[in-house]
Amino acid sequence: MTRTSIFAKNRGLLITLVLLVLLPFIVGLFDGASPVAVWNNLSGNSKFIQGLAIEIFILALYALSYDVIFGITGLLSFGHSMFFAVGAYLTGIAIKTLDLSLPATFGIVFVASIVQAVLFGLVLPRVRGITFALVTLGIASVFHIVIMSTELGTYTGADVGLQGVIVPEWISPANERLRFYFIALVVLISIYLLYQRFVNSPTGRVCTAIRENESRAQMLGYNTFYFKLAALTLSSFTAALAGFLHTLYQPIVSPNVAGLGFTVTALLIILIGGVGTLQGAFVGAIVYRLLDFGLRRYIGESASFINGAVYVLFVLFIPFGIVGTWRLRSFQIKQGWESLLKAFHPDSHQ
Amino acid sequence: MTTDIIFETKNLSKHFGALIAVDSVNLKVRKNSLHAIIGPNGAGKTTFFNLLSGNLEPTSGQVIFKGKDITHQPVHRTIHFGIGRSFQITNIFPNLTVFENIRLAAQAMGRDNFKFWQSASRFKNYEARTSEVIEQVGLKNRAYTLARTLPHGDQRKLELGMILAPDPEVLLLDEPTAGMAAEQVPDLIALIQGIQKSGDRTVMLVEHNMNVVMSVSDEITVMHLGKILAEGTPAEIAANKEVQTAYLGGLYDLNV
Repeated sequence: MTRTSIFAKNRGLLITLVLLVLLPFIVGLFDGASPVAVWNNLSGNSKFIQGLAIEIFILALYALSYDVIFGITGLLSFGHSMFFAVGAYLTGIAIKTLDLSLPATFGIVFVASIVQAVLFGLVLPRVRGITFALVTLGIASVFHIVIMSTELGTYTGADVGLQGVIVPEWISPANERLRFYFIALVVLISIYLLYQRFVNSPTGRVCTAIRENESRAQMLGYNTFYFKLAALTLSSFTAALAGFLHTLYQPIVSPNVAGLGFTVTALLIILIGGVGTLQGAFVGAIVYRLLDFGLRRYIGESASFINGAVYVLFVLFIPFGIVGTWRLRSFQIKQGWESLLKAFHPDSHQ
Repeated sequence: MTTDIIFETKNLSKHFGALIAVDSVNLKVRKNSLHAIIGPNGAGKTTFFNLLSGNLEPTSGQVIFKGKDITHQPVHRTIHFGIGRSFQITNIFPNLTVFENIRLAAQAMGRDNFKFWQSASRFKNYEARTSEVIEQVGLKNRAYTLARTLPHGDQRKLELGMILAPDPEVLLLDEPTAGMAAEQVPDLIALIQGIQKSGDRTVMLVEHNMNVVMSVSDEITVMHLGKILAEGTPAEIAANKEVQTAYLGGLYDLNV
C-alpha cells in the first residue's frame, strides 16, 4: 500500500495535517510576523499557540492510548495515569540523574513501558470488569505514593515535582519550539495511523469482539488474554511516549500526572470526543484543553466547577461524544437519502 | 451409518454446593447422528452441555472426544478440537455486522490473529468462508446489518452461522428454536438437518419442542434430576412409561 492511498482514504486527516502545519505561520501573520520570522521562532503569539498545540498533541496521544484499551478492547483501567507517569519520570531521571542521551532515554522508556504492560497483564486473567478497574487503581496508587515519597526525593522531586531536566538544545521547547511542534505533530499522526491499522487488523478486530462479548470470543476459539495483553502493551507504549514528550516540553513534571485525576482526564477526553472512535481522542483533547485554558483565564481557579458541569452536560446530552455522534448522524442522513431515493426510483434498488 | 463413538462421558458429575446438577452421567454419542437430549426443566441438560463444551469444570468424571480426554481443557480450545456450541440465550456480538460476527468465527481457525500490521480485509480466505456460511444460513440480504437489529429468528441463524464457520465435527445446540415464532421453526430445523447431512457432522440437541425432537432425532437421551432416565430411538422413548411419569402434569404430549 502506498502512502498516497493512506491519505486518499483519510481525506480529513490530510486536511487536518495541512492545517496544523500551516497553523504557526497563520497565527504569525495575524501578529504581523512573516513566515521567516515564525521559522526563526521570533513571533511571540505564534510560539504561544504552538505551545498550546503541543500540550494538546501530548494529551491527544495520551487519550488515544486510553481509547485502545477502554474504547476498543473494553478494559476499564483506573491506573492509566501510571503508564504516562512512568514515561514522564523515567525520561526525567534518565536525563537528569543518569545523564543519558535522548535516544538511550527513549530506549529505557520503551522497555519500561513493555514491562509495565506485562505487570498489568498479570492481573488480566484473574479479574474482569470493575474488579480490573479497582486492581489497576491499586497498582497506580502505590506508584503515586512511591514517587511522592521523600526517600526518593533526589530522583523524583517528591511532592514538588521533577524539575531541572536539561533538554538538548536542538529540541529545546524554549528556543526551538517550532521544531518541537513539528516533531510532536509527526509523532501524533504516526501513532494515529498505527492505531487505525491496529484497529482494522485481525488482532484489533478480536479486541473489538472482546469488548462486545468476551465469553463469546472465547467460545470462538480466541485465548482472549493475549489480545488484551497486546492492546495493553500498545497502550502502555503510547502513554509512555506521551509522558516522554511531556517531560521534554514542560519545565516541571508534577506528581499529579500519576494520580487518579489524570486517569479521569483521559476518560473525559474520550467521552467528549467519542469512545472507541480514535479521532475522538484528538477532538476531545482540543475541547478539553481549550475549555480549561479559556475558563481559567477568564474565571480563575473556580473554573473547575464550570468545567465539571460541562462534562456532565456532555455525558447527558452527547453520550456518544462529538465524533461518535457525528458518525451516527451522517450514517442516518445517508440512510435517509437512500430511502428517499428508493421512494422515487422503486425499481433501481430491487 | 457408522457405529463409531465420537463423544463419550464417563461418570461425569457437577455439583453446585449441595445441589447435584449432573450426577455421574455415562453417555455415548455415535458419529454422524442427531442426538437429542430432553428432560423437564432443571434436569441438568444445559449444565451437561457446559461440561461438554468446557464452559464449566466437572466435579468429577471425564469427557472424551474422539478417544482423547478433553475434560480439563480451557474453553477457547473447544472449537479447535472440532466442537461448536450455541447457547440457549442468543450469544453474539451485538454491535458488529452479521458479516463481521461470522468472519471473526472463521478467522479464529487461522494463524493470522496477531498480524496487527495488516488490514483484516487482506485475508480473503476468511471472507470467502464467511460469504459461504452466510449464504448457507440464509442471511445474505442481512450481511451488513448490525447483529443487534436483527429479528430474533435471524439472530438464532447468525449464531448457528458462527459455530458453522469453523467447520466443526460436532455441534452442540442448546435449544436452537427457543423463542422463535412457530412458523419459523421448520425452516431452522431443515437448516440444521442440512448442515448435519452436508458435512458429515454430529449434532447434539437440547430441545423442548417435542414435535421437533421426535421427527428429527436418531437417538434420544432423557435426563431427569441430573441422571439419565432413558435412552433410545424416538419410538422407544415415546413408549417409555418412566419418561411419561417424569413429564408429570402432561406438559408434553409425547405421542404427537
